[in-house]
Amino acid sequence: MSAVTSGRERAVSQPPGGAGGTEDTDSSDAGGPFGARFAGRGRRAGLVAAGAAGAVTLALPPMLTASQLSVYILLALSAMVTVGLSLLMGYAGQVSIGQASFYAIGAYTAGLLGVHGTPPLLALAAAPLIAALFAAAIGGPLLRLRGHHLAFATIALQLILISLLGEADWAGGSVGLQGIPRLSAGGTELGEDIHYAYLAWAAVAVTVLVARNVVTSRAGRGLRALATSETAASASGVPVARYKLAVFTLAAAFAGLAGGIYAFFIGYINPGSFPVLLSIQFLVMAVVGGLGTIWGALLGATAITLIVQFLNDLGSRPGMPASAPSILNYAVYAALLILVVLFLPRGIVPALRDAWQRRIAGHVRAGTGTVERA
Amino acid sequence: MSDFLVYLITGLGTGCGIALIGSGLVLIHRVTRVVNFAQGTFAVVGALTAISLLDTGLPHGLAEVLGVAVAAVVGLLCGMIAIGRRGTSPQAALMVTLGLGILAYAVEVMLWGDQGRSSEGLSGAVTVFGARIQTHYLLIIGVTAAVFAALAALFGRTDAGKALSACSSNPYAARVVGISVTRMGLIAFAVGGALGGLAGVLLAPMNSMAFDSDVALIINGFAAAVVGSMHHIGRTLAGALFLGVAEAMVAGYGSATYQTVVALGLVLALMIGQAARTHSVVAEAG
Repeated sequence: MSAVTSGRERAVSQPPGGAGGTEDTDSSDAGGPFGARFAGRGRRAGLVAAGAAGAVTLALPPMLTASQLSVYILLALSAMVTVGLSLLMGYAGQVSIGQASFYAIGAYTAGLLGVHGTPPLLALAAAPLIAALFAAAIGGPLLRLRGHHLAFATIALQLILISLLGEADWAGGSVGLQGIPRLSAGGTELGEDIHYAYLAWAAVAVTVLVARNVVTSRAGRGLRALATSETAASASGVPVARYKLAVFTLAAAFAGLAGGIYAFFIGYINPGSFPVLLSIQFLVMAVVGGLGTIWGALLGATAITLIVQFLNDLGSRPGMPASAPSILNYAVYAALLILVVLFLPRGIVPALRDAWQRRIAGHVRAGTGTVERA
Repeated sequence: MSDFLVYLITGLGTGCGIALIGSGLVLIHRVTRVVNFAQGTFAVVGALTAISLLDTGLPHGLAEVLGVAVAAVVGLLCGMIAIGRRGTSPQAALMVTLGLGILAYAVEVMLWGDQGRSSEGLSGAVTVFGARIQTHYLLIIGVTAAVFAALAALFGRTDAGKALSACSSNPYAARVVGISVTRMGLIAFAVGGALGGLAGVLLAPMNSMAFDSDVALIINGFAAAVVGSMHHIGRTLAGALFLGVAEAMVAGYGSATYQTVVALGLVLALMIGQAARTHSVVAEAG
């Protein structure tokens, strides 16, 4: 099976439900990261990890230098987009190589409204909304496509969008939008980068909470079913088309929100800010971390951002050719995508979780003297 | 009238390039069921290699042939990575070819820089019905016609062609009668690489080639392949010619900036139309 359909694989590899309910059965269920069937031990570990991650996230910004802080903010924005993409690809099995379209739509929505004097907070709120509306509008016909057709359609969509934005005078054409005001609410301006860091990570927390609730809900189970087989899911009463559209729209909203924050943070956007490579970057983050897992999306975004940042620093050292940073960038995205798809098809987080659970299962077996192996 | 004729011929010339890319996609997809996102890369590699060889003083003809050969080798390498590992599903292989396309960016920028390059094509022009048409377009059309005739002969008359077709229609049965499906897949990738490289060297005098030219090429080639349902080479050729002419007309009578938008809009409409006619059970089985 493939990285693209790993949600499918996961659902298939689950043992027939309810057989025993022992620690062993639970541990072979590698379902949603916050899945209700997670063993108590796993849940506690998950909570501790989440708490620790949250504390570190909050403590970091004051300790970072200016350039590190801006990387930290961009990391948060990538993480938001990746969480949505991971749901879309992992649960609904829909490949999108054009996720940056919605990022761009969010950025342009916030930017245009901001430039034209709409209260920034309102402009920011409009970003996910317009991105979601756009996704809902095009999702109906678009999601009839499958596999490589959908992959191409999403790239095509992004190219059309970039091309049209470059021609649209009301959006600044190819020059783009300049002088987007800083965010402010009730007379308080978010002037410092550190404010944006907290804002961006608060937004990440919101997306993670929303995603988590979707995954553990009844609808989330329906999604997992349709990732296995749309025909079977629809025969069992899952409204396949509606659910697919809902995840697509949700993922677009996450990307739109990230785009909106980006516009206010950077203060300048143009069509060139949203190349196809940006979409591929989100895709690589989602695939590397593990599709259909929220932790995977966060880990993937963090890992890729840090690696790329490290290589950028390395590539821009004196003595390196001017093109070194971009060469290293392309190489690392490509190598990670290829290696993970070929050798770790479900991504890093599911692989780690499997290893961890095998260990626990091993202890349990050793304790009870059972020698059978799955 | 003469404008129209110029747009028509240049459109057919571009369409031929698209057709070569599209037929490479179809060939690889028929044998391996993999949609090869690196198909545009082969064109870029072929073109840039040929241009560099021409710069070193190699004569026309030889440089282009070597460019195509290098593209074929790159195609073979891509195939080895994408389908060489047992149990790689076509979907996973698609992601791998996407990754290979990006990996090629790194190599191309390292070797050739990130600026577009162009080569000198066949010089001169002929006047037909008052329209001045660059000879190079006629060369593109002639070469493409010959290649498609050769492809038809390959699949229709030779054992190798029949083996390739067997893999596409029933891989299991092909394996039973002793055909190595993986080897056939690799051959398909190599031939696909050569077809892409040929498109590259033919188009390089018309459009400058840069490392990221592959996106436009692959999108157009895929559009043509979709017209052929990813399976029929003849219909892919027809789709490519239509697309090339449509783009040339939009660029000629309208604005060049909208030619991609028009082409992409056409493909989207076409794909969605096709999907609407396919029942979901059939699609999942396929």
